[in-house]
Amino acid sequence: MATLIQPDLEFKRAIIGLDAHDLTACYQCGTCSAVCPISSADNPFPRKEMVWVQWGLKERVLGNPSIWMCHQCGTCNTYCPRDAKPANVMAALRDYSIAHYAVPPFMGKALNDPMYLPLLFAVPAVIFGAVLAWLGNLTTLPEGRIVFSKFIPIMYIEVIFMLAIALTAIGEVVAGMRYWRAMDAQAGRNGHGPRRVVATVLEILRHTRFRQCNEEPVGTRKTYKSHLHATHLLIFYGFLGLVITTTSVGIGIYGFGYLTPWPFWHPVKILGNVSGAAVIIALCVFLWRRIADSTRAGKSTYSDWLFLAILLLTTLTGFFCQWLRLAGLRVAYPMYFVHLLLIFFLLVYVPYSKFAHLVYRTVAMVYAASAAASARSRT
Amino acid sequence: MGKKLGTYVCSGCGIGGAVDLDKLTASAAKTGGPVRRSTAFCLEDAQLIRADVEGGVDSVVIAACSGRVNTDVFRFPGAFVERVNLREQVAWSHTPNHEETQSLAEDYLQMGLVRAQKATPPSPYTEANERTVLVVGGGAAGIAAALSAARSGAPVVLVEKDSSLGGYAARLFRQYPSRPPYAALEETDVAARIRELRSTPGVRVMLHSEVVSVSGQPGRFTARITSGRGETAETSREITVGAIVLATGWRPEPTDKYERYGLGRFKNVVSSMELEARAARGAITRPSDGRPATRVAFLLCDGQGDDAHLPYGGNVTSLIALKQALYVRQAREDATAYVFYGDMQTPGQHEYFYRSVQDDPGVLFSQGQVRAITEESDGSLGLDVSDTLMGGDIRLVVDLVVLATGMVPSTVDTEGALGLQYLQGQNLPTTKFGFADSHFICFPYETRRTGIYSAGTVRQAMDVTMAVRDGQAAALKAMQSIEKSSAGQAVHPRVGDLSYPGFFMQKCTSCGRCTQECPFGALELNDKKNPVLNTNRCRRCGICMGACPVQIISFNDYSVDMLASMIKAVEIPEGNEDKPRILVLACENDAYPALDMAGIQRLQYPASVRVIPVRCLGSVNSILIADAVSRGFDGVALLGCRAGEDYQCHFIRGSELLDTRMDNARETLGRLALEPERVQVMEVAISEADRLPGLLSDFVETIKRVGPNPMKGF
Repeated sequence: MATLIQPDLEFKRAIIGLDAHDLTACYQCGTCSAVCPISSADNPFPRKEMVWVQWGLKERVLGNPSIWMCHQCGTCNTYCPRDAKPANVMAALRDYSIAHYAVPPFMGKALNDPMYLPLLFAVPAVIFGAVLAWLGNLTTLPEGRIVFSKFIPIMYIEVIFMLAIALTAIGEVVAGMRYWRAMDAQAGRNGHGPRRVVATVLEILRHTRFRQCNEEPVGTRKTYKSHLHATHLLIFYGFLGLVITTTSVGIGIYGFGYLTPWPFWHPVKILGNVSGAAVIIALCVFLWRRIADSTRAGKSTYSDWLFLAILLLTTLTGFFCQWLRLAGLRVAYPMYFVHLLLIFFLLVYVPYSKFAHLVYRTVAMVYAASAAASARSRT
Repeated sequence: MGKKLGTYVCSGCGIGGAVDLDKLTASAAKTGGPVRRSTAFCLEDAQLIRADVEGGVDSVVIAACSGRVNTDVFRFPGAFVERVNLREQVAWSHTPNHEETQSLAEDYLQMGLVRAQKATPPSPYTEANERTVLVVGGGAAGIAAALSAARSGAPVVLVEKDSSLGGYAARLFRQYPSRPPYAALEETDVAARIRELRSTPGVRVMLHSEVVSVSGQPGRFTARITSGRGETAETSREITVGAIVLATGWRPEPTDKYERYGLGRFKNVVSSMELEARAARGAITRPSDGRPATRVAFLLCDGQGDDAHLPYGGNVTSLIALKQALYVRQAREDATAYVFYGDMQTPGQHEYFYRSVQDDPGVLFSQGQVRAITEESDGSLGLDVSDTLMGGDIRLVVDLVVLATGMVPSTVDTEGALGLQYLQGQNLPTTKFGFADSHFICFPYETRRTGIYSAGTVRQAMDVTMAVRDGQAAALKAMQSIEKSSAGQAVHPRVGDLSYPGFFMQKCTSCGRCTQECPFGALELNDKKNPVLNTNRCRRCGICMGACPVQIISFNDYSVDMLASMIKAVEIPEGNEDKPRILVLACENDAYPALDMAGIQRLQYPASVRVIPVRCLGSVNSILIADAVSRGFDGVALLGCRAGEDYQCHFIRGSELLDTRMDNARETLGRLALEPERVQVMEVAISEADRLPGLLSDFVETIKRVGPNPMKGF
């Protein structure tokens, strides 16, 4: 069945604008797919994405799990005989698709444009500023031993974040479903449900694909990926550790009336500090590799830097708050305020920033696994 | 005999250490002439030979290095020089001081002495020396050829059938880039070249004219030219020219071939040549309604298995599509060009041009087979394309479809031919694609009619830049041909050879085989059906000599009798199964140099072979094979070039003709109750020295298995 093709060259130009300007050089030799450790013969990415983008086949390329199957090891960039940088194209497609599926759509745009950065920070600043003003802590800081709940009670923070995360969760679910439906529409298999979810989640927990990216050597050329698996594993579990810490603290306070601050030796406290350190170390590695391999390892656009910077600043300000508190310096309170803004940024803007890979990659992997499973059961 | 032979045996380069030269020179003593030895005849001792020649020696036999080296040192005007290859093919390739090596050297010397006894220096044919170059066709290649020849001092006549010069090159809107950075389209500079030609002295341009017949030979062709058409009265005149450059170009493949693609059926399907005209007029529009064409598809029609697959186009159709995609893009900012190809061919530096066109986001490329084209109500065209790189089949709607134009060489048409008054026909012999047949690697311009050189698109699909270069090259070839012809020398591949075949007419049976088998049409038949040689058409390959059933064709220094005597000169050991004798007839162009190279690399092969160089395997008369086996040779190997469609034979058909003659030879073997394995043809390229020891050893093993020739001693 021949499909009517209507090239959308604005889409092509948009991708080119996301630091993938070399994509026009591709002449479809397929070297990229041949060297890709996780691409397969029946799904030859990034080769097919290259021609789809060249032809402006927007719906086809965006409704396609492969862009998220790619874990950006950059091997294709190293081996491309024409320097078309397929990895940059895949990364640009992911950026584009995050904005494309974002609900509401303007949020997708806001996270990709530095112009909106002050506005994005202004939102939590106004919210928390209002709360502080109401508490009377905006102009005068609490006296005595430094306890953050004196500055802003934890309950208030919990309520604000619960509401925000609920909104975010709706955004994420809707975006994920849009992506799922787009993939289903492209595959012409409308409406098969998710299968092999547990297996896929286990795969994510194990970072199986990252390991494949790392481990399977294809030739003798230098690639820029040796740090990927370990570093992402570190950041992944570091972040998970921080989530567990926060949840445990919540449970401690409301379930057992165990008020903060908790002593330094407390296991949850230790977990939090270790996890935070892990995240910082991993982020430093990522930043260093992005700078060191800037020309070879793949594109680094505004959204890439923003994501890394926000993550790093959130973790760092968290540590600063703790140290300033222990040192008994009252500057800990404004630092706490900044930390809250950053957390808000990170959690609330999830579906629109690079953090959204959490959602899209999971959806794509589940979709691909389901499609493969139903293809197997049909035959 | 009356011949005075001098024999010169060299001991240098390891010969003295491998062969007993005392025994060897003793065998030469009975010639009666001087027999001398030196450690290096190629140095001062060359004087010894010169002194002997001045003293009356008329045939010099130098037993030293291969005849392919030191040719200038061992040139003695007035004397016939025979070179016996004791270095590359004896000392360097066989066990030193072995009795078989010794007898090999002795046989070679005897063979050389016999040949020297029989050969005489040739007297050249120098009666044709017209220096005018006739250029047929006034396109890019023809103009370049005329300019080149005129600047080099040759009088030039340029014949063009149209009313103006320039050909298709003048009809191009732009040409794709010819120089770095291979990005911007260039103006064709045809107009400037025409002006240049007009102001060059010594060039006579004849417009509205055609060459209707050509007779004669290089150095003295007679060309009949008719001029004028329609209202102008037709005139006809004859001119004498020395050589001809054929630059008659191409014509578009007929449209019916593209019916499947809608050409002629749908208004908005055009050929690439038509798009040139449309682009030159400014905006690119739809022929159906004159509206701007913003979606234009280019089809290269080059898919394998495509019934409209272009046999002509090759390396230019892709580049033309790239160029025209830029026409579309430069005419309108919002236009999109689609290029569907089977193979994107952008040879050489033009890869950069491809890359630069790709950089334009409005030009889209995909491999694909266009299965169907349908016309919509508004004149737009729907393309169904399968096997695309996008995966699966696609349908695309466009305003205009541009088909690659097949460039059919004018040699395909009788009317494009020169009207050759040759026994073998009016047309140039062509390949299966209709291009003038030539040894494509070594002699691309040289057609199979000596003195006629093809240039430009008549020779191969090419662009204007390449056609200009081609014209220049062919002009130089034409002038070389004139130079050589006036001196009575062969032009190529046997450059400078003064010998040519003579016919012992008393014994001629007028069978005409020589006239048919000559690959170059050098022989005509006179009124009595006797062959007549046009000496300057001849390339001196000796294929006629191989063809003649009564062996009446001979060169002064190369004949069936000479080769037979050399075969007879070989000592055949009897009753010794360990000493087989294998006759190797090796083509001088590739196989013989390969044997020399085997020696240079010190590769060892059996000393039971006796190598005789031949001008071409086609010059081997089958009677020689019969002679060899009845003389007692256990086997005969014929080493030559590849035959067939991708032939390597320097004389085009020599290897192929040998194959048919082998049937005769096998018949002879059958009659003598001998095994067919005793005669083998082996294809050896000049670069395959490393294969030779294996080939020859295997053959010797085969012969040993078959057993000795029972004819020995008869």
